[in-house]
Amino acid sequence: MRKILLLIFCCSFLFANAQERTISGRVTSAEDGSTLPGVNVLLKGTAVGTVTDSNGEYRLSVSETTGTLVFSFIGFQSLEVAINERSTIDAVLGADVTQLSEVVVTALGVEKQSRELGYGISGIKSEDLTVSREANILNALQGKVTGVTITQSSGNLGGSTKIIVRGVSSLSGRNNPLWVVDGMPINDAQDNTTSRITGNRDFAGGSAVINPDDVESINVLKGAAATALYGSRAAAGVIVVTTKKGKSKQGRATVTVNSSVRFDNLFRIPEYQNEYAGGANFKYDSTATAANWGPRIVGQEVTELGTGDRVALQVYKDNYKDFYRTDRTLINNIAFSDGNDKGDYRLSITSLNQLGILPNAELDRLTTSFNAGMKHSDKLKSRFGIQYISTQSQGTGVAGANDPNVFGLVGFVRSTNFKNFKPWIDENGNQLGFAGALDNNPFWIQHENKNERNDERFLGNFETTYSPIQELNFTARIGYDFDQDNRLITNRVGTRSRATGDFTIDKINRKQLNVDLIATYFKDFGSNLNLKVLGGFNYNKRGLSAETLFSQSLSIPELFNPSNALSNVPTRAFAEQVLFGGYGEASLSYKEWATLSITGRNDWTSTLPADNRSYFYPSASLAVVVTDALGMKSKVLNYGKLRASLAQVGNDTNPYQLDFNFIPVAVATGQYSLNQNFPFNGRLGFQAQNRIPPTNLLPERQTTFEVGAELQFLDSRLTLDVSYFNSSNKNQILAVPVPQSTGFATQTLNVGEVVQEGVEISLEAKVINSKNFKWNSIVNFTHNESTVKSLTEGTERILIASEFNNIQVVAVPGREFQLFTTTYLSDPVSGRPIINPANGLRQSGPVATRGSVMPDFTMGFVNSFSYKGFTLSGTIDWRSGGLIHSATVQYLWIAGDAAETAVNRGGTFIDTYGVLANGDGTFRENDIPVRSAQTFWNNLAPGGAADATIFDASFAKLRELGLSYTVPQHILGTRFVKQLQVGVEGRNIALLYAKVPHIDPEANLFGAGADGFGVERAAVPSTRSIGFNVRLTF
Amino acid sequence: MKRLLIIFISAASMMIPLSCADQLDINRNPLLASKADPNAVLPFAIVQYSNRTTTEIGTRMVDVYQHASATFNSPRAGGGAAGGFLSSNQWGMLYAIVLPNLTLVEKDARAAGESNNNVAAIAITLKALAFLDATSLFGDIPFSQALNATEFPQPEYDAQEDVLRGIVAMLDEAMDLIDAMPATGNFNVTQGDLIYGGNMTNWRAFANSLKIRVLMLLRNKDTSVDAQITTALNEPYISSNTQAAMLRYPGTTGNQNAWLQIVTAFGTGSNETTNYFGPSPVMRDLLEGDPRLQLYCVDGTAGNYAESEIGVFPTNAEARYSNNLIRGNLPDIWLLPAEITFYRAELVAKGAFAGDANALYRQAVTETLQFWGQTIPGAQQTLTTGQITTFVTGLPDINPLTQAQQLVAIGEQQYLATFWCPIVSWNHVRRTKIPDIQAAAPGSTITTMLKRLLYSPVERAANINTPNDVLTDVPMWFEN
Repeated sequence: MRKILLLIFCCSFLFANAQERTISGRVTSAEDGSTLPGVNVLLKGTAVGTVTDSNGEYRLSVSETTGTLVFSFIGFQSLEVAINERSTIDAVLGADVTQLSEVVVTALGVEKQSRELGYGISGIKSEDLTVSREANILNALQGKVTGVTITQSSGNLGGSTKIIVRGVSSLSGRNNPLWVVDGMPINDAQDNTTSRITGNRDFAGGSAVINPDDVESINVLKGAAATALYGSRAAAGVIVVTTKKGKSKQGRATVTVNSSVRFDNLFRIPEYQNEYAGGANFKYDSTATAANWGPRIVGQEVTELGTGDRVALQVYKDNYKDFYRTDRTLINNIAFSDGNDKGDYRLSITSLNQLGILPNAELDRLTTSFNAGMKHSDKLKSRFGIQYISTQSQGTGVAGANDPNVFGLVGFVRSTNFKNFKPWIDENGNQLGFAGALDNNPFWIQHENKNERNDERFLGNFETTYSPIQELNFTARIGYDFDQDNRLITNRVGTRSRATGDFTIDKINRKQLNVDLIATYFKDFGSNLNLKVLGGFNYNKRGLSAETLFSQSLSIPELFNPSNALSNVPTRAFAEQVLFGGYGEASLSYKEWATLSITGRNDWTSTLPADNRSYFYPSASLAVVVTDALGMKSKVLNYGKLRASLAQVGNDTNPYQLDFNFIPVAVATGQYSLNQNFPFNGRLGFQAQNRIPPTNLLPERQTTFEVGAELQFLDSRLTLDVSYFNSSNKNQILAVPVPQSTGFATQTLNVGEVVQEGVEISLEAKVINSKNFKWNSIVNFTHNESTVKSLTEGTERILIASEFNNIQVVAVPGREFQLFTTTYLSDPVSGRPIINPANGLRQSGPVATRGSVMPDFTMGFVNSFSYKGFTLSGTIDWRSGGLIHSATVQYLWIAGDAAETAVNRGGTFIDTYGVLANGDGTFRENDIPVRSAQTFWNNLAPGGAADATIFDASFAKLRELGLSYTVPQHILGTRFVKQLQVGVEGRNIALLYAKVPHIDPEANLFGAGADGFGVERAAVPSTRSIGFNVRLTF
Repeated sequence: MKRLLIIFISAASMMIPLSCADQLDINRNPLLASKADPNAVLPFAIVQYSNRTTTEIGTRMVDVYQHASATFNSPRAGGGAAGGFLSSNQWGMLYAIVLPNLTLVEKDARAAGESNNNVAAIAITLKALAFLDATSLFGDIPFSQALNATEFPQPEYDAQEDVLRGIVAMLDEAMDLIDAMPATGNFNVTQGDLIYGGNMTNWRAFANSLKIRVLMLLRNKDTSVDAQITTALNEPYISSNTQAAMLRYPGTTGNQNAWLQIVTAFGTGSNETTNYFGPSPVMRDLLEGDPRLQLYCVDGTAGNYAESEIGVFPTNAEARYSNNLIRGNLPDIWLLPAEITFYRAELVAKGAFAGDANALYRQAVTETLQFWGQTIPGAQQTLTTGQITTFVTGLPDINPLTQAQQLVAIGEQQYLATFWCPIVSWNHVRRTKIPDIQAAAPGSTITTMLKRLLYSPVERAANINTPNDVLTDVPMWFEN
């Protein structure tokens, strides 16, 4: 590896300077004549280039040879001008309405003309991210990009959002894409302090710190050909984020102020029944907590819980509103920016202050971002950027079960007045309110029990580029990502079911160092043939260390010091891995209409056995602009590009998979987390790992074939982009279950294959494009089928994720990821449940797969209308297919909360969906009454049979709606304010269609880190938001 | 300008280590050990075994053999509830955690020679206990091919009879190892042995007593094991409450018996106010006039220690198990001397052995009351010797009764003597059918009391040799 470095180092001195002359000029916009700063000016076929300064001016030294200057700028059409003998060349750039020659950021930050790409890339620009600003940038991508599935786990503030690119290809949970910010891969891990099913605090993953106000563009690299140069970690796709750089406006520094205020409330409220009071068997019980099986409300007088007053028995229809409040978010950004031909800088400070829908839920994030570039000479330039993001949150809601802090939509007993639960604590620290021995006052949970996170994130990068001769340049790039994530989770003394009080302190530290050394060589062979060669070296080191302390039985309630606890269980975690990569790319272009690119990368990883730690993988892609190749001058089809690629990406595994070890044990486990701590009576505990280590582990191999077309019709009024891909992920590194009777639970092996096939279609139409009125419409369609082709011999299925009550997501050969659960005993023909003639109830049957948890297809409809200064834009997001199991619905039924449970409560209750067995293999309609409606709804999941609460997760949402108005300059009438834009923005406006009742069909228990799709349990309800935005540029 | 570049590239290269190979050779977890001392592995195996069994077979199944009226997530009604996580948790604990760790301890001890016979014998005895649990819960189980992944990656299942006979052989081997211990220089296992603190005389007696327990299951089908029983009874067995095999829970925070933990985690920290566990009708009937009623229970507002129906949790009106039972330092009881004395009384009553059945019956009841009222560590309430004598004296003389009546009297008291010993109790009611709780629980999908658990779905998914599940009311092989 040293040799490569030395070579690069030495090479830089081998080239003598050629004789040079200087060309200068100014670049302006064709639209309004304004000067354009930041435009790339490049001597075609070389690395020689510069950027226009704040006045749109540039100076460039070129050798005496003739050549062509290429002016390119995101959002504008590129322009090529032959130099000839001129020393002054001005350029006028037209807006890139056709995107024929759009510049896009590809792997390793390399900017390419879109026409050269042999694979599909989806891009998002800054203005699309800040229409309705989100605390988690991922949410702003929903519906706007093909090939990605984005799911917000819940309405928890500071919660996670899961993104997968082109479906799931890994059985081992490595399905999250790699995030790259300004060339630096960043940590996107989601670390859990508590179990994801028992008392799940859903803290967002690492990419949530990316600040939409600082983002210039986001490109999603989907196929293996697009990501191959990023190597092992890019098998699940790459999201390339480019941040904003410093610019001047009309030769001056600019100051931009962007302020939003946003209000959120519950997106979907269950349809509650409003006829029956709390209690059971038609008897009123004021202390009922999740039971609405009391009497019908007919004007009775009862003793009220909390006050003890005699009041009229009544339904408090909106009592959830006494608990959930309106979320208020303030997002304020101020950015200072300037630039000239020597350098540029941008400083941006963003403050996000959010009050969540749960009482006491609060999130404050301060993002400070500074980047600056310097042009030291025509040959040497450098740039650095730092971002410091500090996030504090409290009052995070808890999902799952078996934790006293779980409180969801099920908890609102219809006849309970939640106003009576304040105050929730007396002066001696005793809990007030709820009288049940086992249940906590929800205000106590939110105010007295802490779920705090304090996350300090530092991202830094430095890059320098040296161009010793026109054809060659060297770039060195270093990035560092440091995250210190501290959590404090407490149960105050007096919390029912944690009466003695406890706390967990979790300190998680993640670090990543990434170095890239890249050499690029351009060669123009004349005759319309040019070659671009890139070679590079990558070093990546990632580390995790975590220290967790669980302390129980506190003396002083609010003192979170281990010495204040009778029992302390400290645990540590540590992991470190290193990857070296050497890579290269050669691109040969002919007449700019045909580009063939070939890449290769070899990785050396610390996580595989020494004999297999080095692995190579290639890719090839071809792009042909057929309209140019065939010389077509049609107005109907004015641009057509065909592309094809074949690529392979190798993948390593997690650290420490190879050895057999003894593990020092902190707890011996038991059902319901009833654990024993070690030391036990002064004894330590060690256990052998129950995983058989691998003997000859190989890297994973993902091979992808992709073809696509970009077609523009009617003078680019209509743009169609179609991709078809087919990929296979083999040699997956997996801990495969082995019979536990062997004394082991799993064996790490290379097994299995997941094949994927998909189509992505994006259709964009400029429906109306008049001077004053514009209507742009985009339809995105994604269909992706990820089929588990094989597991290992003798293995029927592999568990991907598991909830309680046997609700599992599993991989089964021949299918997509399946929801797997205990089913009803049912008529094999009609599928209807067989009723137990003794009691009229459904019965449990065998365990079985119930269908795919992945959608059949997703579609996004994005429309924007602009009239003079007004812009109205909206996004509809449609997902079709896939299953979801909802424990919230199940408990709304069990609790007699849901409207449907009020039907026929007083009468004879017969399960008419059930059938009775005739004993000869035939069935008849059920006519056996159930004892009561309460008995029916309470026994819909006999033996864990979950069929009744498995739903089609299809939905359509009006995801975004925004109206903005840019005040015309003549009205501003002052030179002080250069631009003023105001807007109203809404997110998750309406659920247009859903098959699952009562809950948001997108809710997900497992969050961003795991692959447990299709399972919901007591999620914090998601929100609908409306916001107001003012953007001022000075 | 070049200087700047040189400085930068030099700095960059300094950040990259000199040797790639050194950098890549970091794949060893610094927080884990490549070997472990039996004094650290045995405590884990013992505590993990005890805690998992208490939380699954104890707190979830105590209403199956009806020591209590109801539990959360009980499998008493059979069907899927008698499988799923209940089976996979318990199976996984036995096969993938406890047994392999004990096997590693045994292997290392055997390799170390005679001086480690004590460690090997403890490991084998505990393995025998774990296999006995496994067959008691699931019937036919992997035994002869178990725990040998290299040779048998898909272990076959052995018939319950063969498993029971194999367990007897294991216990014989453990006792042989103890008999062959050198006089001095033995490995010091005091720290790791949470049961007897390294006292191998007690371990030998425990192994022999376990052997008698297994032979009594075999005897239900095959009386030819009587010779083996005779031999075993002529060797030392657990004959004193001070030798009782049990795991003593310290009762300190974090090390409380799970019976208290469940009422702390989900309730008030006291079963007397949380109202989870109360006596079943059969328990209540058998405890009538027995001083253990007050020892185990608090009375409800309805008085007379009114019990709850099966499947119904007690309210303040009914009797609930008291804080004297549901407490943090309650030991997990594995074997009491009374169990062997009851077997002896039973064998005499059945005419298999000579002796005084009535005397053995009274001795066994006395031993049980003495244990629960006097010897048990951490008791909050005790019985005086006078109370015990009065109660035992008041018991009828069983010698004049018919054999069937004698067996009922012995069986009922033995049922009370297996109190709060989950698998022993369940085996007792399945083996003897005394007391008669064989009827299906209310709302059951099966026709009798629960007889077995379904196989672990985790094992089934990975082991092609897993037999098809039979219904959960199909009796065990050892049942008549």
